[in-house]
Amino acid sequence: MMKMKKFIAMLLVLVMTLAVCGVAAYAEGEKVTVTMIAAQYGPKTGDWWADFEAKFEQSHPEIDLVVDVVSWNDIYTVVNTRLSNGNAPDLLNIDTFADYQADDLLLPAQDFVSPETYAKMYPAFLEQSVVDGVVWAVPDLASARAMYYNKDILAAAGVEVPTTWDELTAACEAIKAYNPDIYPWGIDMTTDEGQAAFAYYTWGNGGGFVDAEGNWALNSEENIAAVEYEIGLVKAGLTNSDPATNTRYDLQDLFCAGKLAMMIAPNALSAQAGEAGINYGFAAIPNNTGVSVSAGVMDRIMCFNNDQTEEEMAAITAVVDAFYDDVPYSEWVLMEGFLPATSAGGEACAAADPAMGAWIDIVGSAKFYPTAKAEWADVKQGVINVEQRALLGENVADLLNELQEEIAG
Amino acid sequence: MKPKKHSPLLNRTEPYLWILPSVLLMSIFIIVPIGCVFYMAFSKISKAGIVKGFNGIENFSKVLGSKAFSVVLSNTLVWTVVVVGLSTVLGFILALLLNNKFKGRKIARAIIVFPWATTLVIQACAWKFIIDTDYGALNTLLKSLGIISSNVNWTPTPGAYFAWEIACGIFVTIPFVCFTALSGLQSIDNSFYEAATVDGGNYWQQLFHITLPLVKPSLTVATVLNIIYVFNSFPIVWTITKGDPANRTDTLVTYLYKLAFYNGKQGEAAAVSVIGFLILLVCASLYMVSALKKGDE
Repeated sequence: MMKMKKFIAMLLVLVMTLAVCGVAAYAEGEKVTVTMIAAQYGPKTGDWWADFEAKFEQSHPEIDLVVDVVSWNDIYTVVNTRLSNGNAPDLLNIDTFADYQADDLLLPAQDFVSPETYAKMYPAFLEQSVVDGVVWAVPDLASARAMYYNKDILAAAGVEVPTTWDELTAACEAIKAYNPDIYPWGIDMTTDEGQAAFAYYTWGNGGGFVDAEGNWALNSEENIAAVEYEIGLVKAGLTNSDPATNTRYDLQDLFCAGKLAMMIAPNALSAQAGEAGINYGFAAIPNNTGVSVSAGVMDRIMCFNNDQTEEEMAAITAVVDAFYDDVPYSEWVLMEGFLPATSAGGEACAAADPAMGAWIDIVGSAKFYPTAKAEWADVKQGVINVEQRALLGENVADLLNELQEEIAG
Repeated sequence: MKPKKHSPLLNRTEPYLWILPSVLLMSIFIIVPIGCVFYMAFSKISKAGIVKGFNGIENFSKVLGSKAFSVVLSNTLVWTVVVVGLSTVLGFILALLLNNKFKGRKIARAIIVFPWATTLVIQACAWKFIIDTDYGALNTLLKSLGIISSNVNWTPTPGAYFAWEIACGIFVTIPFVCFTALSGLQSIDNSFYEAATVDGGNYWQQLFHITLPLVKPSLTVATVLNIIYVFNSFPIVWTITKGDPANRTDTLVTYLYKLAFYNGKQGEAAAVSVIGFLILLVCASLYMVSALKKGDE
């Protein structure tokens, strides 16, 4: 009896040990497997992809599609871990591609996208994924920014919708005089999205991250003046109290609570403000040059080079084609509340929702972050750091010179 | 039943077989990751996370050469010393109070556990909400009591933010100290106090000459464990400020997280991790040496 118990105990220990070692055997089917990691844009993303997977496998019984939907908080960690373990997915839906391209991990877009699907993409979007003359990723959706304003507050303060920086400052002062409990203008300089603020003001002043040749030009005169203007608004008490820790989501909450008069936000704010009963409008971002520039953000789908066979490449192309098929694609974009990246999707979305039409025009004129450049991650954190240090009282010109030296020097 | 004799081989190997699972678990979840971090700290790693070969101490020299690092290191020291120090003192005082007999003592002890039993992220979110300038609970409360007339910005400077984070850290650390001290207090034989009272010892003399020396071992354990926990604590700072503005509220752990997952500098992040590990190793060794010395005495 004792012996039996001991034997069972030993057996359990052995089983545990094996389990720890992660010994697992699984049978391989005859199907071609396509793996994909997709970013989770909203609460319904997971369900949408599960549904897509089921429908796709029904119409393509020879392909086994495996989509992992991963939240934005974890996606970089998940992807990097899989890459360093030599377990790259076939397809990846994420924002940046340059880091993967720099390591020669990607296949050119035209290797995994059929010519028909490729032709549907807005060319301006494809240009954002070019390195060495090759397109490495295709856009899956975009979002653009515009200035949202609370019509009631502006009317009560007796100001028109500002279009220039001077008008903006005047409007902010008038709103502050009307009700000191309302923040006239929202700015987010946090680690989350401080680079967006940098973009709004520098682009609105004729500057930006790069010069006409595409070289880093972070310390241009225009940029220095732009950041000084932005910091000046905060110092004058015309903005939210703590731009270094108030994220755009905090600002959107303030806007929807009627405590913030104006802010720059993506089209997703329309739905939130509408639900909150705010009488809102949106207009071009105020600028200092007479030319308004919207900031565009674009996400992408890319394909990793896993030495796929021809059969596997055909399966990957079939997945991509099915995703960009006009009807499901425009449904997906509308569900996520973003803007489409294909012309057919654009038409479908504009037809479904008239308010989308204005946004599709805005995104057409948008500038994008230079995400194709390898130093982008450093620049992004660098400009956020510049804004936050300027906020603490350091000299803007010195900070930008230092950053330019660090990045391009 | 007569115990049967095992073969000598089984006799010798059996103990090792029994501890094999824990050894395996420990190696997989503790030793291998530590090894990986050291390996990464001395490697060049691309932004996509691919190891591109050995690069000596380049990661370390980059980290030590950056301006942010000294700010972050001094923040970490302030954070650890103040949180551990104050929570030890306050936790001990609370334990003394709870060691007295009074009505509702059980309920009071249960309430103390709450901050400890709640996830740190939730705690930090609650604190963030309390001190928020625009819709924080603190401003709302003070306004409804008529103490202030308009919202007060409780976090006007990075230092103020850091102070609130430290306060939150102390709040969540007190229960652990309190319970460790309480277990020590309860093990003190009452006859010591009776003898002291007979000899005319007052409350303070009893506290410093009986209570403290006898509770010291449990307080020391609590302090060492706390130094490790607090030094490595991530959720409070991350939830409240993410180390912003400009690293003024970063500690080593939040800083290395940003380096790895926001800046794509995993090699440098691993180097920061190694530095933190070494600092803690020194602290722990000092404790071990002093504890072993005491044991010899």
